Amino acid sequence: MADLFHNLALGFGVAVSPINLMLCLIGALVGTLVGVLPGIGTIATVAMLLPITFGLPPVGALIMLAGIYYGAQYGGSTTSILVNIPGEATSVVTTLDGFQMAKQGRAGPALAIAAIGSFFAGCVATVLIAVLGAPLTKLALAFGPAEYFSLMVLGLIFAVVLAKGSVLKAIAMIAFGILLSMVGSDIETGASRMAFNVPELADGLGFATVAMGVFGFAEIIRNLDAGAEMDRDLVQQKITGLMPTKKDLKDSFPAIVRGTILGSILGILPGGGAVIASFAAYTFEKKMAKDPSRFGRGAIEGVAAPESANNAAAQTSFIPLLTLGIPPNAVMALMVGAMTIHGIVPGPQVMQKQPELVWGMIASMWIGNLMLIIINLPLVGIWVRLLRVPYRLMFPSIVVFCAIGIYSINNAPVDVVLAGAFGLVGYWLIKHEFEPAPLLLGMVLGPLMEENLRRALLISRGDWSVFITRPLSAVLMAAAAGLLVLAVLPTLRKKRDEVFVESES
Amino acid sequence: MSDTPSQGPGKSIVPGWVKCPQDFIGGLVLVAVSLFALWACSDLQGMHGFSFGPGTAPRMFAVLLLGLGAAVSIVGVVQEGPGLQRYAWRGPLFVSLAIVFFALAIRPLGLIVSGLATFLISALGTPETRWTETIIVGVCLTIGCAVLFPYVLGLPMPLFPRFLVQ
Repeated sequence: MADLFHNLALGFGVAVSPINLMLCLIGALVGTLVGVLPGIGTIATVAMLLPITFGLPPVGALIMLAGIYYGAQYGGSTTSILVNIPGEATSVVTTLDGFQMAKQGRAGPALAIAAIGSFFAGCVATVLIAVLGAPLTKLALAFGPAEYFSLMVLGLIFAVVLAKGSVLKAIAMIAFGILLSMVGSDIETGASRMAFNVPELADGLGFATVAMGVFGFAEIIRNLDAGAEMDRDLVQQKITGLMPTKKDLKDSFPAIVRGTILGSILGILPGGGAVIASFAAYTFEKKMAKDPSRFGRGAIEGVAAPESANNAAAQTSFIPLLTLGIPPNAVMALMVGAMTIHGIVPGPQVMQKQPELVWGMIASMWIGNLMLIIINLPLVGIWVRLLRVPYRLMFPSIVVFCAIGIYSINNAPVDVVLAGAFGLVGYWLIKHEFEPAPLLLGMVLGPLMEENLRRALLISRGDWSVFITRPLSAVLMAAAAGLLVLAVLPTLRKKRDEVFVESES
Repeated sequence: MSDTPSQGPGKSIVPGWVKCPQDFIGGLVLVAVSLFALWACSDLQGMHGFSFGPGTAPRMFAVLLLGLGAAVSIVGVVQEGPGLQRYAWRGPLFVSLAIVFFALAIRPLGLIVSGLATFLISALGTPETRWTETIIVGVCLTIGCAVLFPYVLGLPMPLFPRFLVQ
């Protein structure tokens, strides 16, 4: 316990330095700004803004990126409530009741409850990270290569089970991603693999490059398909009275608590993270409610629960990254990319050798959430005005910004062309209903998996049974196998599809 | 992969016994990708003793992808599902052109020229572009980027065309 306070104190010491406070504020603001713009998801936002953190010291860069991440998350919910367009996948369910509230002239309380719920969830998640961080790190240090490999297999299976659509296609995307990660030099021998003597490929495909292509450019091209002018049902009347009533608070408090708990648990699990959390929280609230028919007609719980859940999940998804070095979703994978650029290899070692980095980031998340609640409510008017920017002007700007961003990572024009090519690949994937997120996850975990697989087999002298004879590894593998079987079973599949259908209608 | 032909839902290149052309073609393309990867790493050393060579893991995952791609295709044959979707040409073409132009132009022509040109080329991607406002926004954005990236963020990149600087 003393350790916990010591760690948090250390973290706050780092986070409240003026420069880090500034970076946190800028990150949260810029994140919200981009998050509010429809048509750019969280992943594309983080990928696009990655280069602006390159010139910063590592702690500052991570603080700012974390700020961008939950800022984008928050910005997404603002658009959901005001214009019925979810800025992010995580706030899709918020549109159901949030927009109805706005139509009834209660946009203010809806926004306020979303912010308060997010903040409460953020507080709980911060404490949770601090509590779970140390013991999980100890556990991670007991892990050998076999356990690591099994854990990653489990993580990938989780991602598949929780993802939308066909299980088979999601696994295929993971394999594709792992294969892409092997382009470049072999880690042990340095032999060039599938690089075709292109010098720019010798270091492998950049993760940010692929992410920007598959999520940034592909999304733009897809949006253009539908015609640039998406209809926007703007709430025209002025937003008055931000403060929720006493009754609002009383109604939404239990929902916030339930959403936070659900979100925290789902966030730690690899896979869907925040997206799943918000869906699950909404469904759960509807089941819990005495009068479920109120949902979809402006029930404040329908805003409070998913918003708390997605924020809690967004933050607890840092736990596997910081303690085990395993990114549970695509955004965390981008954080790995950012850390690598700064020469940090995420994992238990970072927690022990650079505690100020980890705890500084954790503390800054809490501060960032506080800032969001303070700065965003007065800024709602500006965000609404931003939404009036037509897509025909926005998408060329995104193209330019992404191109400059990719170029600045390595000062390599080839990277820009590669990102463009992956944009077309991503467009093709969308057309064939392949999910790009598992591909990205496979690409990030690929090198880690290969390394641990090789080491495990080297230690066991080529004996593949090592993955099931070591107890910890066996448990992880069994869990992965069990999950996969469950996912393919028809009953659960039906349930899973129902969750997504409900959220999309 | 943009060369996949675009077609309407009515006339299809996929034979009639395929129940889900979308998955069928998708799986086949993955099979092709994995075959290409197998070919690309065919010159790499495989296992020696019980330790992995550089080619072992890529071959392993390429074979895995081959199997999965084939499975997706087979499921596409037997299970009812959506057909091929229509591809638009205008958006992909101009956005790609803009990106390629940026890659070629950034070194010799600098950020200002290539940024603005990229903006204008990609704006061709939709018929809804109104040129006056597009040019105004493009110029403003370019100025913003020219201040933001090299000065505020300190990222090294040329601003002006090379022949003007020399």
